[in-house]
Amino acid sequence: MSSRVPKRTLFSFIGPSILALALVGIGPLIYAVWTSLHFFNLTKLRQVEFIGLDNYAHVLTDPIFWDAMGRTFLLLGIALPLQIAFGLGIALLLHQPGIGFLKTLTRLALVLPMATTYAVVGLLGQVMFNIKYGVVNQLLGFVGVDPINWIGDPANAFYAVVFWDVWQWTPFVALVLLAGLTTVPPEIEEAARLETRSWWKVLRYVQLPFLLPGLVAVLILRTADTLKLFDMVFTMTRGGPGNATEFISILIQRVGFRAFDQGLASAQAVILLVITIVLSQLYIRVFYKEVR
Amino acid sequence: MKLRSLASAGAIAAALTAGGTAANAWSLEEAAAPYAGTTVDVVFLLRPGYEAAEAMIPEFTEKTGIEINITKLPYENALGEQVRDFVAGGDLDIALIDLVWIGNFAENEWIVPIDKFTSNPDLADPELDIDDFFPLVLNAFGGWNGTIYGLPFDNYSGLLFYNRCMLEEAGFDGPPETWDAVMNEYGPALTKDGKYAYALQSKRNETQSADSFARMLWPFGGSFLDENFRSNLMSAESQAGLKFRQNLMQYMPEGIVSYDHAETVNALAQGDVAFITEWSAFYATLKNPETSQVTDCLGIAPEPMGPAGRKPALGGFSLAVASQADEDEQAAAWLFIQWVTSKANAETYLRKGGVPARQSVYELPGIAEEFDFVPALVESWQDGVPEFRPRFAEWPEITEIVQEWGTKMMLGEVTTEEGAQEIGTRMEAVLDQAGYYSGEKPLAQ
Repeated sequence: MSSRVPKRTLFSFIGPSILALALVGIGPLIYAVWTSLHFFNLTKLRQVEFIGLDNYAHVLTDPIFWDAMGRTFLLLGIALPLQIAFGLGIALLLHQPGIGFLKTLTRLALVLPMATTYAVVGLLGQVMFNIKYGVVNQLLGFVGVDPINWIGDPANAFYAVVFWDVWQWTPFVALVLLAGLTTVPPEIEEAARLETRSWWKVLRYVQLPFLLPGLVAVLILRTADTLKLFDMVFTMTRGGPGNATEFISILIQRVGFRAFDQGLASAQAVILLVITIVLSQLYIRVFYKEVR
Repeated sequence: MKLRSLASAGAIAAALTAGGTAANAWSLEEAAAPYAGTTVDVVFLLRPGYEAAEAMIPEFTEKTGIEINITKLPYENALGEQVRDFVAGGDLDIALIDLVWIGNFAENEWIVPIDKFTSNPDLADPELDIDDFFPLVLNAFGGWNGTIYGLPFDNYSGLLFYNRCMLEEAGFDGPPETWDAVMNEYGPALTKDGKYAYALQSKRNETQSADSFARMLWPFGGSFLDENFRSNLMSAESQAGLKFRQNLMQYMPEGIVSYDHAETVNALAQGDVAFITEWSAFYATLKNPETSQVTDCLGIAPEPMGPAGRKPALGGFSLAVASQADEDEQAAAWLFIQWVTSKANAETYLRKGGVPARQSVYELPGIAEEFDFVPALVESWQDGVPEFRPRFAEWPEITEIVQEWGTKMMLGEVTTEEGAQEIGTRMEAVLDQAGYYSGEKPLAQ
């Protein structure tokens, strides 16, 4: 097929995409790698010098970086299973026959959290979780719970971030899985239900194989999103109190744009990119193998 | 000889007359005429002083034809945006400079010394009267290493804002004079029934380092650095201040480490705390019945004294001409800075919600009575410490360290000694790399 299409035509189709990708993705990435090999502070541009792998050595031995990384993976480890569990539950409910109008309404409602800007979610959180005037404590007060210091307490602030992340992204997981469920051939599903009354068996042996591609996409996208989670946390807690919500992207922003050490921040970002790529490959190999 | 003397005297008299006429004849309209149509780009913050200036700008534009293009930013974004603009050779013609940014901006030559304009009779207003600015404020906000770059624009001092009614109910006939009284008398008496004596804004950003950490160092005799630029945070005085802050937290609302200015001002405005130490700029918010429930009970005093004296927080912004602007833009920018900070406009600026740094405006009859923060403010500007926070170029890195470990101290994650040790070590590493210890840079802060 390709031999019959002139190379010129091929390039004219693929070329613009490659050019755009090079401009917005590869170019900045190369620049970030170059920066990471230099002492490069925006407020000390006269002192820019090549320092080899010093920035990488600093990052890899910096407990603050690894603490932030650990916190980020803890967030991922708590939020992602919750999103998948709730998302799957919602998808299975919406997959039930009947209740057409309610399903449409629910699908519409599911889009709302995803459509809300991250930064706005964070600002909402700042107001809603306010210890004195926040609606969350007000609602808890109706059932006799004393006001909780959500944003000012390190542990609570972390769980407030988990809550918001789950709230915002469970609908995404639900919609992806619902799409997966619709690809299950109805006759197979029907036959399976005639064979067994166990919903678990139907889910495990009939529906799950069709859900796996969607689940892999969810895992990759949500992992990448969590690793770069910034806006919501920045507007809600700014990484505080203390370091309680200083996730890796907040740390990189702090180093790069508040202390202006672009060299160190670039090294952190490159390491984060490597971790993200490794994780993505891991997901694809493990889960896609299962699909095959 | 006699004739020649007379002629000389005549010439001098003529020159003086001409000079006097020129001085008298100077007008903003004429000075600005060559720059009509020029647009000046500047960053403003979302604070009352900037709203006041914004309300004045139409008059400036009408007189000069110079447009002022404002980019409004929250404080936390203002430094980053400006640094990126200056590094990239962007559009900003005026630099808005927090006093802790001045060393950074000046050393990078992003701003132009005012001499360039004050020495140009076409641009210098004969009524500029630079000595009318409070000397502390002019030097701290606009000066670096003996050179003046900016004119004080949005000017703050830390003040004690208090709820007179709450204090009277608790049996006090006035605000606390000393930090010792805050701890031992006012704190226990006013912290009850869900109300607290005091709120100290301590959120992990510049608020933590400037408003919380530094505020407790200086009155106790502490400081960030000693005379050799080594950390002074382990000194007995600095430790006394930091431990005092820890102890005082028992009289502050829960979650004080998440309180920024808005939460703190709001806590007083809603009657939840009896007093706060905040910037003078928040007077307008606390005095406005739409944003405050305590307008009738609001009292203002200088910050309490510690063993080392009053040493109130000092903060504020100057405006300086950006060196990246072309000559016309620089001239237009200077005319705006000169006008908005002028003696003639100080009263208007004050009445619109700003806080000018002109001494003369506070001496006008009735001003001290009408604006009840004035006596405390003037007193504070006599006692302030210019290096309340070091103003050198390395502050952006150091403040991040202070913010992180200062908050950890307050949360009890580290002791004041451990935190101070950590800040000291990291701070000295930054200063070492900058060349202060090798003698490459002068020990200026």
